[in-house]
Amino acid sequence: MGPMILLEHVSKIYPPDVPGLHDVSLSILPGEFVSIVGQSGAGKTTLAKILIAEERPTRGRVMIGGWDITRIRSHEIPELRRQIGVVFQDYKLLPKKTVYENVAFALEVAGTSSREIQRIVPQVLQIVGLETRANRFPMQLSGGEKQRVVIARSLVHRPKILLADEPTGNLDTINTRDIMDLLVKINEFGTTVVLVTHNREIVNALRRRVIVLKDGEVASDVQEGKYLLSV
Amino acid sequence: MITLWRIFSQSWKNLFRNAWLGAATIFVFIMALLSVNVVLAVNVLLTRVVAVLEDKVDVTVTFQPATPDAVVTQARFYLTSLPQIAGVSVISADQALADFRSRHEKDPKILAALDELKANPLGSQLVVKAKDAADYPFLLGVIQNPQYASFIQSRTYDDHQLAIQQVETIGNKARITGAILVAIFAFFGMLTAFNAIRVAIYAQREEIAIMRLVGASTSYIRTPFILGGIWLAAVAIILSYVLLFAALHWIEPVLRPLFEGVNPGLIVYFQTEWPVVLLSEVFAMVGLIALVSWAAVGKYIKR
Repeated sequence: MGPMILLEHVSKIYPPDVPGLHDVSLSILPGEFVSIVGQSGAGKTTLAKILIAEERPTRGRVMIGGWDITRIRSHEIPELRRQIGVVFQDYKLLPKKTVYENVAFALEVAGTSSREIQRIVPQVLQIVGLETRANRFPMQLSGGEKQRVVIARSLVHRPKILLADEPTGNLDTINTRDIMDLLVKINEFGTTVVLVTHNREIVNALRRRVIVLKDGEVASDVQEGKYLLSV
Repeated sequence: MITLWRIFSQSWKNLFRNAWLGAATIFVFIMALLSVNVVLAVNVLLTRVVAVLEDKVDVTVTFQPATPDAVVTQARFYLTSLPQIAGVSVISADQALADFRSRHEKDPKILAALDELKANPLGSQLVVKAKDAADYPFLLGVIQNPQYASFIQSRTYDDHQLAIQQVETIGNKARITGAILVAIFAFFGMLTAFNAIRVAIYAQREEIAIMRLVGASTSYIRTPFILGGIWLAAVAIILSYVLLFAALHWIEPVLRPLFEGVNPGLIVYFQTEWPVVLLSEVFAMVGLIALVSWAAVGKYIKR
């Protein structure tokens, strides 16, 4: 079985000469749950942006599900984004759309039929426990609820990969645990989950693969690893 | 087809969900449109004033007292046949005398002097009105032909020449100034509308980035903004015309006495010229909105 995500000697240098990543190589298999950790400035967000083609690597090669996205063209990016569900710390919900419309929007842009949307969205909202909040606007939701809407939106495409960039950064302990439980459940259904975080506690509680980035390089890559204080 | 319908309905929903932003944009659009239409109206008024002034100008050709009526009638027919002529009226010698008496009825000395005379000392007159003030020198040159020249006693053109030329100059300047003002206000109106669209899209820049992140194509993001701008422009154009006609209906009766009871012609102008004026404004607004929205949204569509 080929890797779901493959990075070969990837470097990113922001103009004029600010290093983001340096010679990063890693491979993530389908169905894995991988935490990418490191302190601020370690290169976690740069790596996440490269995976969704928001940034291009300066050097190296990036493959997603066998698709070489290193030099992906602008018009191909929407297709890639429909294959990767993304969860952000700041939610990135459309404020003028209801919960239902936010989730449905991800399907609408892919040209899914209205009948399919009406079938899928309530199911996904039920999975994340928001079926009673469908007609609310984002500003009427708590932080935990907003994050669950984001997860619902990222799931509607049945993506191969779920990329969660600091998904619990704005949440309290209880909501953090709920969101992590949800991510684990999604992983158990077969989706590859990439968790980008600097939260030591949740990484250590997961007991899954941990890749530590430091100064833009892979400092360690351990199965059932921990995020140690010394790293 | 399904995507087109979604884009259409999304743009329509945005209109209501961004009501305040939309209202502010419509307000700016209305101001831009009204500024152009008000300058157009002022231009119409200016042209009308000049036309009224030009209408007041005429020249009177006075014949010798003994001139046969046939000569006067012939001169009148000759002038009437010319394309430059708006009208020629004849004041007979008797009528001229009656008018003179009427004008000096409070001056017994003049009336007594008139009574001393056995014959009517006044000749017939032709009151000549040209279509264009610039044609008077030509028309008076025509009447000076040998057939009539010996019968002509005087003409008022020499007295009015300066006034006629001034009216003509004012008319030309007013038309040129009016056209320049309309062009300037149209330009500023477009700049204002341009800025309003940019501000409206800037306020929604984060939404644009989010749409891209969840896999929306560039055209799927852009088109609702372009359509939304067109809806706002449509509302603004309708409201601006309602305001314009309400203002015209109010102001025209106020202006009528200044034109000595003559219709200033503002409402008539917009009623007859609206297809050209409205279509120009619609095309300018739609073109501007499409272009600016396209560029402004593109600025916020990151990779």
